[in-house]
Amino acid sequence: MDQSWELVQEGLFDYPLADRQRPALLANRCNKCGKTFFPKRNLCPDCFEDGNLEDILLDKRGIIYASTVVHVTSPVGIKAPYAYGYVEIPKNQVRIFALFTGSDPPSFIPGQEVELVVEPVWENNRGQKIIGYKFKPIS
Amino acid sequence: MREVYIIGAGMTQFGKHPARSLRSLGFEACLNALRDAGVKPKEIQAGYCGNALASALQGETGVGQNVFWEAGISGIPIVNVENACASGSTALREGWMAIAGGFYEMVIVAGVEKTVMPKGTMLNVGAGDLETKLGDVFPGYFALIAKKHMEKYATTSEQLAKVSVKNHFNGSLNPYAQFQKLMTVEEVLNSPMIADPLTLYSCCPNSDGSAALILCSKEKTQNINGRPVRIAASILTTGTYDNHRDITGWEVEQRAAQKAYEMASLGPKDLNLVEVHDAFTISELIHYEGLGLCSLGEGGRLIDQGVTELSGRIPVNPSGGLLSKGHPVGASGVAQVVEIIWQLRGEAGKRQIRNARVGLAQIMGGNKEGDTRACTVHILIKD
Repeated sequence: MDQSWELVQEGLFDYPLADRQRPALLANRCNKCGKTFFPKRNLCPDCFEDGNLEDILLDKRGIIYASTVVHVTSPVGIKAPYAYGYVEIPKNQVRIFALFTGSDPPSFIPGQEVELVVEPVWENNRGQKIIGYKFKPIS
Repeated sequence: MREVYIIGAGMTQFGKHPARSLRSLGFEACLNALRDAGVKPKEIQAGYCGNALASALQGETGVGQNVFWEAGISGIPIVNVENACASGSTALREGWMAIAGGFYEMVIVAGVEKTVMPKGTMLNVGAGDLETKLGDVFPGYFALIAKKHMEKYATTSEQLAKVSVKNHFNGSLNPYAQFQKLMTVEEVLNSPMIADPLTLYSCCPNSDGSAALILCSKEKTQNINGRPVRIAASILTTGTYDNHRDITGWEVEQRAAQKAYEMASLGPKDLNLVEVHDAFTISELIHYEGLGLCSLGEGGRLIDQGVTELSGRIPVNPSGGLLSKGHPVGASGVAQVVEIIWQLRGEAGKRQIRNARVGLAQIMGGNKEGDTRACTVHILIKD
């Protein structure tokens, strides 16, 4: 029997989790120039083989850089309205694409502090929940 | 490097062609281009065909061989080109390089696409990208850019809407355009919201259609009765995908434009008309800035001043652009150049720009990491 869930993409999360740790996003960082990549890359385009990429966990706190609310259902089946945008992770100096936990524009404006939530983002036609990530406002 | 000329241009009407195949549409455009140039299929030495989505939408591959065969062109090198919305313009660049490099004397370039789907069907493209898996859609990505442009430069919704109004006016004068109707700022703003702040009429439609060009060397133009237009610059580049880039502009476009101006030995002030990739209203304003028609952040003011209207100092998208003419993805880059050829020859009918001598075509293809996968700029001159 199929399991009841699937990851939206392999290699995005630190998994399985030790104890009751909350999952974080998995990135990697060039040990020469310090550039951080999410999702992880195979090489640093600037340093090539002079640098080594090391796995890191991204800080769970971020700041919204840009946001929009989409009013059409997405091809993967996320029901409208839904919100997404780019989130800056100041601690890791990286900007990532992310869904937001609601679709109320005032909660998702640039500069808003947000926090990572790992949860189902849509369901496929076999009824499996697709596990992705979102950010929710920190009040 | 040899000089390359365009001696034939043709296209189908853009719009909904549910009963017609890719090869039927492609055939019509190629035949029009061949007739326009006054050359026979057997004179063509190579063919380049842009198409972006047939493998995904129609389950067809090798579209170029099908289309050119219908037009009597076979037994020569034929290349299928896919570069998202820049597929057709990349095919043009391939044809230009082949003649400039001395490989052939005469080639055909085409673009063809059918993206009109049954109502409610979403185009499922970019399925391999994390963003797409997380629900990113094209209007949403451009909405993020629009929001950021509004935040940084105080660009308004009305300024965005004016792009659609202008292009629908131009399209109403173009018999090849998908939409032949005028649009008001209120109609654009009050149409259904797709991705805040972009409404339905801020987004280009899905379209079917094809366009084609005949290219040749300078020597070959001596034997042609036509009115050759010279390709003064052809630039293709890709994004850098810089994670910290300011999304209110495309560095890739600014870079491509600068190279094109250098290659053609002219600047933005020398342009008589421009065709840009107005897939969304915000895109056109940013292209004004990227191509140097105004400074960064001044796109909204430029549309307010009417500079880019048909009667303005530098008309942009006289064809109606993608917003009104339609956007058969792989054909759009070729159709932009067809419009420029017609304008430079004085054959653009009711939307003719007086004394047009220099035209620029810009189009970009696909999103990756919040940047553009491909960007082309072509400059055309009627000597």
